[in-house]
Formats: sequence, C-alpha cells, structure tokens
Amino acid sequence: MSASLGELLQLVPVQRGLAGLVLGAIGLPIVGVVIIGLDIMPVRFAMMHVALFGIAVGMLVGLDPLLCALVACGTSGAALTPLARTPSGLSGAMGLLMSLAIAAALLVLSVSGVNANGAFELLWGSILATRTPDVVLLAVLAVVIPGLFLLRRRQLALLLHDRELAACSGVRVDRLTFALLLLVAVAVAGAIRLTGALLVDALTLLPALAARRVANSLRGMVFAAVVIGLVVNIAGFLLALVLDFPPGPVLVLLAGTVTLVLHVVPDRRKQRWHRSPASAH
Amino acid sequence: MPDGARIELAAVCCAHGRQEVVRSVDLVVEPGRRVALTGTNGSGKTTLLRAVLGLHRASSGTIAVDGHRARTAADWDRRRRAAAWIPQRQATGRFPLLAGELLASSGAAPAATDAAGRLGVGDLVQRPLHTLSGGQLQRMYLARALGCVAAGAQALLADEPTAALDFAGQDDAAELLASLPVTLLVVTHDRALAGRCDRVLEMADGQLRETSAEAAL
Repeated sequence: MSASLGELLQLVPVQRGLAGLVLGAIGLPIVGVVIIGLDIMPVRFAMMHVALFGIAVGMLVGLDPLLCALVACGTSGAALTPLARTPSGLSGAMGLLMSLAIAAALLVLSVSGVNANGAFELLWGSILATRTPDVVLLAVLAVVIPGLFLLRRRQLALLLHDRELAACSGVRVDRLTFALLLLVAVAVAGAIRLTGALLVDALTLLPALAARRVANSLRGMVFAAVVIGLVVNIAGFLLALVLDFPPGPVLVLLAGTVTLVLHVVPDRRKQRWHRSPASAH
Repeated sequence: MPDGARIELAAVCCAHGRQEVVRSVDLVVEPGRRVALTGTNGSGKTTLLRAVLGLHRASSGTIAVDGHRARTAADWDRRRRAAAWIPQRQATGRFPLLAGELLASSGAAPAATDAAGRLGVGDLVQRPLHTLSGGQLQRMYLARALGCVAAGAQALLADEPTAALDFAGQDDAAELLASLPVTLLVVTHDRALAGRCDRVLEMADGQLRETSAEAAL
C-alpha cells in the first residue's frame, strides 16, 4: 500500500494538490479565525453567489470570468464595511447579499443567454485539478494573511474582541474592518475556485473552530488553527490517496472530527481558572 | 494651570432612532473638576457620555474638549486619547482577549499593570477576560483607565465604574477615581462616589439639572 502511495506522490497533479493544501493551511485558517471573530459564518455562501454573479458578468462581456468573480467578491466584501458598526449588521448583510447576488446572477444569465451550467461548473474546483497559478495564488495568500496578522496583531485582537474598545484604544476600526472584509472575500472566493465549495470549510472555518476550543487569545488561536489546518490537510490528503477516496469529503470529515473531539473533551483550563486564588473576588 | 481637560457641551441632542434621548444639554466641566451624573435608567446619561467619545452621534449641538471639536477620524482618535473611558457594560467580548492585552490597550501597559496589582487583580493578567467575574472585570477596566491617564489622558469618562464592586471595593475605587489628576465625568448611582465629586447633576428625560448628592441618590 505504501509503495502505491509513493507512486502517487510522484505524480505532478498530486504534488501540486499537496503543495496547494500546505500553502492553503498557512493562510486560510487565519481567515477562518477572522470569520468567527466578525461573526460572518454565512460568508462562504454569500461569496459563492457573488462569485457566480461575477462569472455571469464576465461571460456576458467577454472578460475572464474568474477574474470578474474575484473582483465582484472583493468589491462586495469591502462595501459591507459600514454595516459592521452594529453587532448584527454583518451577519444579516451576508444573507441579503446572498439573495441579491443569486437573483442578479440568474437575471444576467437569463438575459445574456449564457449557459448556466457552464457558470456553475467554474465554482466546482478540485484539489487534484489544481493548476500552477492556483498554487501561486495560495502562496501569495500564505504570505499576505500571516503578514497582516503579524503587523496588526494588537489591533486585530481588540477589534475582534470589541469594536468600541478598539476605537477607544486608537484602532482605526473602519479601515481595519475594510481590509479584513476585502481579504476574507477574496480568500474565500479564491479558495472556492481552487478547492471546491465543500473543501473551503475544511481549510478555513473548521481549524478555527477547533482552535477556539484550545486557545485563550487571538495569537494562540491563530497558531493553533494553522497547526490543526496543516495536520488535517496533510493527513486527510494522504488518507484519501491511500483509500482512493475523493480528497474533499475526507478532509472535511477529518477536520470536522478533530473539531468535534476537541469540543467534547473536558476543558481543563476552566478547572485551573476556578482553582486560581484570585477568582474569589 | 490645573491638570485636566475642559469639557464643553452646548445644546447637545442625541436620538435612538426617532426617539430623542438627550435634549439640548449644556454643560461645562472646568479642568480638574469632578462631576457626577445621576438619574433614572434610560434618562440619557450613558448616551451623553458616549456622544463625547463619538460612540454615539450627536444629532445636533457641539462638543469640545479643550476647545477642540472632532470632525475627522484623526480628530476622534485625538479625542479618545485625551478622554479615557470606562464603559457601562464591560464587554467580555465575542472573542478571547487576555486581561494583559486589555491593560496594554491603555497605551501605558506598565502603569496599568501596576494599577491592576493595587486593585487586587494583578495576578489575573494572563487570564482571558471572559473567565473573570463581573467585579474582577470592572477592576481590570479601572486599571486600564489609570493606564490611559498615565499615557496622557486629561479626562476620564466613567459609566457606573463601581456598580459591580462590593462595598469595600466601591469605597476604594471611588477614592482612587477622585484622586486622579484629571477631569472626571462619571455616571453613577453610588453615593460614595457622588459624594467625592464637586458637582452632582441629575438627568431626567434627556435634560440636565444641578442638584446635590443627597437629593439625587
């Protein structure tokens, strides 16, 4: 069995897929941490629909559909910034954006006579069909996203904890929220294209949800999310190769299992905090 | 010249939706003076305090701190450095933040950490805020405010800063707040704190009137 795995790892598409997953595991779990912090879990669905709208427009006017999808996602993500001023503003806006985008996409497809199946197919990526430009995009995200985190760690921690506290601590909350939404939208849209809609959760949200259980601070969460993402991606991909299963579902199931186990295991930190002498105040 | 900033509000109105909750408030707090705002729940005290920091938009009127009105994002940054804030509901947050990170956000981490030690929560700085009790959290925010003062804030706007403390803690905190070399504008229902202020104002139905601590509480 190991010999056949060794042979599989000699194949260029497998090597590219593995490289994509490793690079994706460096940047995308941090995006997942931001998604949880901004409370925008439906962002994946919203961006799928906005990307479809961008693809439809691209096919209609003859531009690169995927480029149009990335631009549409980036623009709509950034345009949501003013809605972040209220606690529930963003999550509600994601639902609205989803509805408007799918309606606009279907209208454009209908009016232009473009084949809707062709547009939808562009959203279904596959890790084994990863191209070199896709790996390059993941590499860029693997540099930009941790870089932004390292440069703005203190501001991010305050913003994700409490927007008003951040504003009163000298953080330009509108500017930082704008940058985060832009980054989240582009990263999620890019990841959907590269890996397929199903795998996006395994790369972004699930490592972040698991990390939330084991870490006490933003820095700890980011570190844990990247480590969990790397372990799950590599182990899941190799497991899928050995079992000859499709990688996407295996990765999601493995990431989901790790998240579930971490949530079921008793949280020893609470016992330690309750034993702390100062907790009697 | 006394320490502290001059806070001046002229004909300030604020609304929640269509409902006006602060009605044409005029108030001048001279540098270094301590003013307590009292009044029933929903009378507009918190909204007025938040308007000074730009956390709630004043629908009309002017607010100046040391003669400066805030118009741009940079102005508001300056205002929030000049005026420290203790919020009414200290957020445990939707995301983990260590107490030490809260103290560091004051701009003077060593001073804030030292203050946390004096307030009896110095050994909790490595704990996430959501694991602290209400009283511990309030002490952390008090320590952060002291850090802000050390970092150069000339005014402190405190919204019920002793509400979660026990009686002894309320006395200690009131003494500490009253001893700060800054202008203090504090929303409170705490007699010990109001009694240490130079003026006590009562807010009712969005309007201010001068009163005494005994009459107001």
